Amino acid sequence: MRWCLAVLLLALPTIATPEQQPHHKGADRPQVLAPGYSALKFPAPAARSYSLPSLGKAADGVLLDSSGTPATLHALYEDKTIVLSFIYTSCPDVNGCPLATFVLSQVQQRLSSQGNLADKVRLVSVSFDPVNDSPDVMADYGNSFRRHNVDWRFLTTASEKSLAPVLDNYDQAVIRDIGPDGESIGTMSHILRVFLIDQNKNIRNIYSPSFLHPDILLADILTVTADDVPIDQ
Amino acid sequence: MDTTMHRGLLSALIAASILIFGSAIADETCMSPYMAKIVGQEDFVYVWTLGVEGVGDEQDKLVTVDVRPDSDTYGEVVHSLSVGGRNEAHHSGLTDDRRYLWASGLDTSAIMIFDVHTDPAKPSLSRRIDDFVEKSGGVVGPHTNYALPGRMLLTGLSNSADHGGRTALVEYTNAGDYITTHWMPTDDNLNGAVKGGNFADGYGYDVRALPRRNVFITSSFTGWNNYMMNLGAVMADAEAMQRFGNTVVVWDLHTRKPRKILDVPGAPLEIRCAWGARSNFCFTTTALTSKIWLIYEDESGDWQAKAVADIGDASLIPLPVDISITADDQQLWVNTWNDGLTRLFDISDPEAPVQIMEQKIGAQINMVSQSWDGERVYYTSSLLANWDKVEAPEGEDLQYFKAYNWKDGELEHQFTIDFLAAKLGTPHQMRFGAYSLYGK
Repeated sequence: MRWCLAVLLLALPTIATPEQQPHHKGADRPQVLAPGYSALKFPAPAARSYSLPSLGKAADGVLLDSSGTPATLHALYEDKTIVLSFIYTSCPDVNGCPLATFVLSQVQQRLSSQGNLADKVRLVSVSFDPVNDSPDVMADYGNSFRRHNVDWRFLTTASEKSLAPVLDNYDQAVIRDIGPDGESIGTMSHILRVFLIDQNKNIRNIYSPSFLHPDILLADILTVTADDVPIDQ
Repeated sequence: MDTTMHRGLLSALIAASILIFGSAIADETCMSPYMAKIVGQEDFVYVWTLGVEGVGDEQDKLVTVDVRPDSDTYGEVVHSLSVGGRNEAHHSGLTDDRRYLWASGLDTSAIMIFDVHTDPAKPSLSRRIDDFVEKSGGVVGPHTNYALPGRMLLTGLSNSADHGGRTALVEYTNAGDYITTHWMPTDDNLNGAVKGGNFADGYGYDVRALPRRNVFITSSFTGWNNYMMNLGAVMADAEAMQRFGNTVVVWDLHTRKPRKILDVPGAPLEIRCAWGARSNFCFTTTALTSKIWLIYEDESGDWQAKAVADIGDASLIPLPVDISITADDQQLWVNTWNDGLTRLFDISDPEAPVQIMEQKIGAQINMVSQSWDGERVYYTSSLLANWDKVEAPEGEDLQYFKAYNWKDGELEHQFTIDFLAAKLGTPHQMRFGAYSLYGK
């Protein structure tokens, strides 16, 4: 059986805040923004008051940095705490890739005032659309978000063939959406995943839109980063 | 507009990013909110089936039923994958990306991970976990297989020390690698939880998450000693009847720490949480006392539990089993195993559910799964190998998969598969599959 295009990920219904939604009703609920766009609705976890056991080693992979130079993920990870986000720059789902980039930008802003912690953290955004997201495109995209004194890298791959093992290793399923004529319509269906990787390259958390929030991410970063960094959330 | 569908007939995928905040949710209604969902016509129902001595190959198996109305094989078993031996096959659950179906056995604690994305019509066994007890530190009876982002959360029913009801939650990666174990709070070790009533039994059964409130909720049943015993023997054994769970626990979702233990006496089983953005409550039903309970967050942010409705006549022991909440949080299907009835409750006022219809489905009934739009409802019959009825009056099916359409307030029977006549075994949990989930 061929394609049934079902791109709900990419459809953007009416936006509304949760407060605008009727209590105990569901059938006509409008789409709402993910929690990461607003203040957290519950107390953020206290950093280092809980544990985040390892989900296994973060795999290596070959990418291209925003200057077009080959780079491996492990070289990029060095001894840093990593926040790794898979995105594509033309993603239209407000609760998908734009959410990830927004939350990382908020984390960047918080880190910028915490030099000691910022030195130990690197943000990494990797495109899963090498066809459209060239190194130049990633450079331009990154320049729109990157600020001083926080390390945020934007990368892509040379081809879908070189991308495939990276996506496979990070269990990131992506489907290129196809129109009625069998041609790509430029969008992709995927489940948003953002990874927190510690200084020993262990995956310590995987975020979905429901709890990808700067307050939570910062608490988790502090929880997994060497404890010589003072807690100052 | 929630859906974009090509060629008009097939199932549609709703991705998790939309799902959690989006509009209609339907067992599709009862699965993890982190999971991609089928919002149109499902193509297949995967039935995790117990092997039965003297029936077919006698092995547990994953049975695939074609439910595409326009298919030449509509209503037929199109694939059956036996896993070798019997494990007390019980519940199953899909990973968040819906590429794998986890299915577990309450007796052997074996877990099968089926690949359902490579060929949705023909699942294959991708991995088998046989060291669950050892890895988890003594948890027995993996029950609910619940998707969290990039990982699976499994509830246990028992433990290897005494095979009683004290148990734990166990986390695995989607690939099937053990992560950690979270033991249920007990009087001996509350682990920081507040004891809200009289009980802290440490029992476990089901789990559901409310990410927007950073909580997950667990219920409690009974240990291996009871669920592997003949039901009549259990009910005749006063001591055994004391060993059923009486608690629901509210956990901190992010830190995985128990927050509060609520008294819900009478073996609270399935948990179903509402989906409305401000509907901060879940339902459960108690097997032994036949009641619907509301688990809710009060105005002060504290979590409470209260019985809100009776299910039939408790003195007749209807034994409520599976439940399923509808897309709009307005109705709740409740099956009662002993009388074979499916019952529909109006839950528009969650504090006062009212039964609005009931219909006999078979000699016994256990699981119910409804489509996203609520228009199709599927039932299976098996509860536990040693609890299932062995005979029934003429014409009352004992072990079946039945498909109905739900239209204008009535269940319209579409087809039945007699699992004993088909030499398959006894059918338990159902999960849906669709080509469209994988761009096929």
